[in-house]
Amino acid sequence: MGGVHDMGGSPGGPIDRGQHEVEDWERLADAINAALGGKGLQTTDQHRRAIESLEEYRNLSYYERWVAATEKLLVEKRVLTSDEIDERAASIRRRWDGL
Amino acid sequence: MSGHHQHEGAGRTTSPYAARIRAIEALLLEKGVLTEPEVQDSISYMEARSQANGAKLVARAWIDEGFEELLLSDAKAAALQLGMEPEHPAEFVVVKNTLGVHNLIVCTLCSCYPRAILGRPPDWYKSFEYRSRAVREPRAVMREFGFEPPESVEVVVHDSTADVRYMVLPIRPPGTEDMGENELADLVTRDSLVGVNVPRL
Repeated sequence: MGGVHDMGGSPGGPIDRGQHEVEDWERLADAINAALGGKGLQTTDQHRRAIESLEEYRNLSYYERWVAATEKLLVEKRVLTSDEIDERAASIRRRWDGL
Repeated sequence: MSGHHQHEGAGRTTSPYAARIRAIEALLLEKGVLTEPEVQDSISYMEARSQANGAKLVARAWIDEGFEELLLSDAKAAALQLGMEPEHPAEFVVVKNTLGVHNLIVCTLCSCYPRAILGRPPDWYKSFEYRSRAVREPRAVMREFGFEPPESVEVVVHDSTADVRYMVLPIRPPGTEDMGENELADLVTRDSLVGVNVPRL
């Protein structure tokens, strides 16, 4: 059996042809991913493996999966720690919330 | 381009991952893993690409047989010839529609797409529904996009991978004999480059 991502040939409902406007954080997720690739810090296959092994795969949006996968790889490779990402993300959210 | 993402607030998005990617960016910059220009260049790279590139390749192929041959045999060389920057680790393959064969592109496993040429794929291309169904019932899928090839036409579905990215060279619509290259390019929609539809007058 394939993983959660291996959905070719499965039944499915109608295709939503609507397009959401790409948000800045999504552009950034794309860019960070490509820049890390350019530096040899991750490969497409590593990124795919990280995406495909996300427990939340079906509940996350496309770029949410990308961010979660990038984070997973950076932590695995000991470039960053989960704690420092958690802490910084919390501080950014407090700033956005005007607290 | 500076300040492109400095003004995002909680009101812009509801995703908790927005703050996480900002946090990751800030930490990578502080640690010197990435530099600000590298991040900016990476954003500009993707913004500079769109289906307009695909439309140009198709329109040139329609009016220049030699170019069509090059496009089908070495798509990156053809793109270079039109001033594009097709460099990408993945192969770029163009498949030609004929009166007997209609091509449809999907990436069942994820979202592989010739990004170096066409930029980001549309949302529907990445949807679970398209990925699941395109290989199982391509005609039903095309009908949802308002198109279905005649019964006599064979539908060939190409499943993209991380290593090979596809684009369709559609058939030049009849009645366009007098059109110039730019006018022809305007007929080429992104949907027709993926094969869920065809260019129309």
